[in-house]
Amino acid sequence: MFSRFSGRISAWINERWPLSASVRLALDEEMAGGSSYAYVFGSSALIVFLLQAATGIWQLFYYVPVLGQGYNSLNYLRTEVPFGWLIHGLHFWGASAMVVLVILHMSQVFIWGAYKRPHELQWVSGIFLFLLTMAMSLTGGALPWDKRSYWLVEVASSAAGTVPVVGDFIKRIMLGGGVIGQLTLSRFFILHAAILSGALLVLAVIHLVALRKVGNAGPWDERKRAEKGPFWPDQVFKDGLVAALVTLLLVALSAYFPPPFAGMADPLDASYIPKPEWNFLFFYQALKFFPGHLEVIATVGIPVIGTLLLFLIPFADRGAERDPRRRPAAMAGWFVAAGIFIGLTLAGAVSKPEGIEPAAGPAGAPPAPAAGEKAGSDLFRSQGCIACHRIGGIGGEIGPDLSREGLAGRSRQWLETQLRDPKSHNPASIMPPLAGLSRGEIDQLIDYLLSLKERPDTGSPAGSGEAGPAADAPAGPRGGPGAAASIIGSGDHGAILFAATCASCHGAEGTGKVPNPGSRDGTVPSLNPVHPDEFSPDPQAFAEKLDRYIQHGSRPEGPRPSIGMPAFGDSHALTQQQIADLEAYILRLNNVDRAAIAHPGIAPKVFFPAAAAVFLLAGVPLWAWWRFGGRRRREGKETVS
Amino acid sequence: MEDNGTDPDNEIGDENDGTRRRFLKRATGVVTLLCGVIVGIPLLGSFIGPAFRSAKTSWIKVGDIGALPVGSPVSLKVADMQVDAYVRESVIRHLWAVRHDSGVTVFSPTCTHLGCQYTWNAASRHFECPCHGSFYALDGTVLGGPAPRPLDTLQTRLEKNELYVEWKRFRSGAPEKHPV
Repeated sequence: MFSRFSGRISAWINERWPLSASVRLALDEEMAGGSSYAYVFGSSALIVFLLQAATGIWQLFYYVPVLGQGYNSLNYLRTEVPFGWLIHGLHFWGASAMVVLVILHMSQVFIWGAYKRPHELQWVSGIFLFLLTMAMSLTGGALPWDKRSYWLVEVASSAAGTVPVVGDFIKRIMLGGGVIGQLTLSRFFILHAAILSGALLVLAVIHLVALRKVGNAGPWDERKRAEKGPFWPDQVFKDGLVAALVTLLLVALSAYFPPPFAGMADPLDASYIPKPEWNFLFFYQALKFFPGHLEVIATVGIPVIGTLLLFLIPFADRGAERDPRRRPAAMAGWFVAAGIFIGLTLAGAVSKPEGIEPAAGPAGAPPAPAAGEKAGSDLFRSQGCIACHRIGGIGGEIGPDLSREGLAGRSRQWLETQLRDPKSHNPASIMPPLAGLSRGEIDQLIDYLLSLKERPDTGSPAGSGEAGPAADAPAGPRGGPGAAASIIGSGDHGAILFAATCASCHGAEGTGKVPNPGSRDGTVPSLNPVHPDEFSPDPQAFAEKLDRYIQHGSRPEGPRPSIGMPAFGDSHALTQQQIADLEAYILRLNNVDRAAIAHPGIAPKVFFPAAAAVFLLAGVPLWAWWRFGGRRRREGKETVS
Repeated sequence: MEDNGTDPDNEIGDENDGTRRRFLKRATGVVTLLCGVIVGIPLLGSFIGPAFRSAKTSWIKVGDIGALPVGSPVSLKVADMQVDAYVRESVIRHLWAVRHDSGVTVFSPTCTHLGCQYTWNAASRHFECPCHGSFYALDGTVLGGPAPRPLDTLQTRLEKNELYVEWKRFRSGAPEKHPV
């Protein structure tokens, strides 16, 4: 009945448009050797590409490629738009899936020897497709304009700049100027969304038409090649099944491993350690073998030579033999290439950048001390010494500034006596004796004190804990929330910033009860957990409450608090992006997810099981139909697929 | 194989197909349909979703209520931080405020007919809309013209003589006051 109705519609169309002829052209093909699961990678790559196109275009309803807005517009999509988390997740994981499928497809074609005559044009167009896929991965990574994007652009443009003679020209074209800016983002955007993707589509058509013209290469065994099988429905079913499984996998990844929130791009933050996306790790690792002047060998040499080798394969290897077992040189080449790629990728994944100590954060904070002194530095804060003594501009002003204590000529014995029994040196001292410290802890404190050889900062540098504010200043934060409260930052990066900037007063992970003499509470407020008045289960509201303090500073309640909260935002000691990262971290300490999805549509952990269940349930009627339905023909024409 | 070119229009399947061939065609169709649904629902949901969400409201601090004269409407321009999807920008809101002995009434600045900004005519002591001639009394009731309902009042709050107003927009042209 359905067939008759659709038959009438298709008859009407076919009279006016070659619908059936087009479908036949696409589907009617006898495949040498019949269908096989070995051939699914190419079509899966095509289907994932179509998925990328759909999700990519759809994201444009919300994403704008503008410097101040791009990051926030993407996060709006991910947290405020129903199913936005899924659309972006599919696109993010789909990108990795495409690279994997393309590489698997290339490998399968190579192993089958299916690049040999008359398939050379397919291979060449395929290499172009591979390069375009990598270029799409690169340009796409720039668009969120988070910290990973910024450094991606920085490294890519610098690498381009190493090309001899024309390097600077290429770099300027890439950046749209001398430095990274709005024009850079716009260029990466249009390359990604229109130009490279358009080229990909054109080349895909060329690639497929070439395939149709010469037919599939099929098995390397002559006898197996002689047996034919139809493309439709046999191969299409296999392709469709694998594509469906890939789609389900992408949904699962989107639900359980959402793309990370890397924090808004911040060129001023030197503490972020960038690393490329996984598919460029091999390049990142390879660069390390060519330091200094040799760098250009890697940045230019590796892509150029690698690409040339790939292009030349069908022309260098003209032998007719396709059996991989009888092509030892070719297979050795494949194993070597695969081994190098996988090895460099893994090495790149686990490596840490050499010789780079993460900067302590904002300028003005003292640099991190080494080894045993570090323990002493922690003790200095946890024991409350910082409440009365200043180091590097941070701390109280009740006792002497200790920034140059290492140059004061004190012996270890003198320092130990001072710590254990201050009144023995000065009967009028109000310094409490540190009686409860162990031998080891005393030694660590002394190590630390003897290492302090900094010049004390003269003007109050941005980032210092302020000394006791005036007694008549009103208590509480000195203003409303700022821009940082609306930015979803990175809790991971916030942890680094917190350790460098905040832990000295608020304690490691915000738990510390660092003394604040003269304040009503007697200690610096805990951030883990935060005071109930400042807590909110809504991430935006919670961030706004914290933001008032971080932006404008605050005077604690009490007669004469020794330490006040500095105005990190107003003084520009921290950038808005850094403040946003800190807020994300503090929220995390209080078990609130800054990047919580406010409007999921259907929650991720419900959607994937439901989707998987739908697929499994669909399998039931299909199985029933296979088992019980249809007229069975028992004349031996049936073969189990 | 059973069929290979003698019957070209074989996409859906007919009795020439073996069971296996028909099964593969049906299965491919089902799998494709399911994938389309699993991807289609999010695409549709993300497209429609935000369009039906109510606009955000915000409390704006106006200032010291003592500065307002009693019984005479004042046009106020107050700074507000507007959140429009992911765009935050500071904007100026216009409000009409009338102070009485018992408190303050704040009116939304748009006419209830089609949303134009109305003005105060001190001579006739009416709020007048220049677009289509609606006019209102000091308390907002409609005295003439096509306006379907009285002027929309905004929620106010007093904290130690500081006036706060809840900024909201209402649908124009309707006899009932509905927030947008």
